[in-house]
Amino acid sequence: MAIEHIHSFLVHPRKGIAEKRKIGGTTVQTSGKLFGLLSEIYLSSDAQCDIEIAFNQSATGVQANLCRDLIIDYLEGPTLVRGRRLAERLESMTTRRSGLGLLFVIAGTEGRDHKVVVSRFPTDVAILAEEKSEELSVQFLERVFMKNATSYKAAAYQDSSLKAGFWTGRAVDRQINDRVAQISDYWIADFLASGFQVTSAAGTRILAVAIRNAARATTDINIKSEIAAAVTLAKALKGRRSTTIGFENLLNLSEAAKKLINAQISEHLEDQFQFDWKEFSEHLAYRSIELDNGAILTAEAPRFDEVFHRDRARTDGGGIRFTTEGRITGERLGKSKVERLGK
Amino acid sequence: MNSSQLEVDYRRRLDAVLGPLADALQNQLTDYLRDVPRIDRVVARPKSVDRFLAKAAALNEEGKPKYVEPLNQIQDQVGARVIGLYLSDVDSVSKTIEKYYHPIETRDVVPDSQWKFGYFGKHFILLVPKGLVSTEIDKELVPRFFELQIKTLFQHAWSEANHDLGYKPASAPLGRDDERALAFTSAQAWGADRMFDDLHRSLVHQ
Repeated sequence: MAIEHIHSFLVHPRKGIAEKRKIGGTTVQTSGKLFGLLSEIYLSSDAQCDIEIAFNQSATGVQANLCRDLIIDYLEGPTLVRGRRLAERLESMTTRRSGLGLLFVIAGTEGRDHKVVVSRFPTDVAILAEEKSEELSVQFLERVFMKNATSYKAAAYQDSSLKAGFWTGRAVDRQINDRVAQISDYWIADFLASGFQVTSAAGTRILAVAIRNAARATTDINIKSEIAAAVTLAKALKGRRSTTIGFENLLNLSEAAKKLINAQISEHLEDQFQFDWKEFSEHLAYRSIELDNGAILTAEAPRFDEVFHRDRARTDGGGIRFTTEGRITGERLGKSKVERLGK
Repeated sequence: MNSSQLEVDYRRRLDAVLGPLADALQNQLTDYLRDVPRIDRVVARPKSVDRFLAKAAALNEEGKPKYVEPLNQIQDQVGARVIGLYLSDVDSVSKTIEKYYHPIETRDVVPDSQWKFGYFGKHFILLVPKGLVSTEIDKELVPRFFELQIKTLFQHAWSEANHDLGYKPASAPLGRDDERALAFTSAQAWGADRMFDDLHRSLVHQ
């Protein structure tokens, strides 16, 4: 670890306010308790920042990004003035809903690499209790900045080249799945002008293909039906941001089913992406059930359980009776068994 | 860095990473574009040592080296190309590419004046996706980006012929009439693309 510079700024919510103001900032000493806390943030940034992100191209497609420019500018000469430009950018993106925040910009070197961690502590209120002999004094504190609050955000970048590097980095945003777009987009999309390195379609496709291949690979009928049922539920994940493992948990898959799916994916298990239902359904559009009497039932996966009603068969032997009702809109003959699941 | 050291470094990168990466990208692109109609071909290949060194030696308008860190700054060490039949196919390929890759640059490369004809094509600089190169390979050897060009058959044919005629190392430079002839063929290719695309659209909408 070699932290060389730390600057801090109080960032007010000023989105949409044209009037300029000078943001209060300070240089933080590289010793003491605060330095200890910030060192920990700097050191643990690889593990803490679990979302792989990349800066976006400009709106016109040019290879330029305003936030990346500010970060490189800061790393080329880490001063309070240059750090303040990052704070000004954050302030211009901060709404009242996001509130007051304390921004730290921490720069250092790691071998041949330059490294920068940008960290925003949200404001909170607290009560300070002090015990003096048999007396207790309590005091209400405003403007307390808490790292463990639910809206903590950070981003870390490390690269050897200031000229051509620093296009990718890692971020943490505890509000990434907030239903209000203004909140979920504030840190990565707006301030960092970035997107996930793994696009929605690419991440969802990897997950969908793995689920499809897992269902094909197993002969265990319980896992097959568990996976098929999970596919039916997947529509509820539309727009959510998580990892493959996270999505498997949200779909309540068993350990056996997860193991089977994960075996199809290898190193993409921890990649964060936004679930894209349209992409998912392109790879897992249909669900089929084959019965031992030769019948094959097929329907769109999300609607399968609506279309086919399932009962126990009247006869003994553990059979299942499916019923459905509708108008005939088509009929086909084929030379082979039609396996729609996975087409 | 001197050019012989650069050559050693690039050759090492080429052998260890760029070849396998180009193959993996070609497979991935082919898979992603499987359902896009009228794709003539998808290819990806690494930049040759000679072409890399020539590009690395380029000078800017002030006569200074254009690339101070060629291994970091040259972004088309792996180049991919997708050729479609019609102009509208370039759009549908682009949409698919934008879905699956993270671009840091998107350009419609066209002559700089409406009175000129020459090279036409759509170019992307895209982030190299994870998982295409073995994790055992030194990360420093893996390029961050690759270039993808999307063109029609006519655009591709023109650029190949133009490259063959215009960039022969031993031949004399092209004269004004030669250049005018190349511009003329570009204009014909441009017109043919328009005609085919109009015909395609009108037949589809019938």
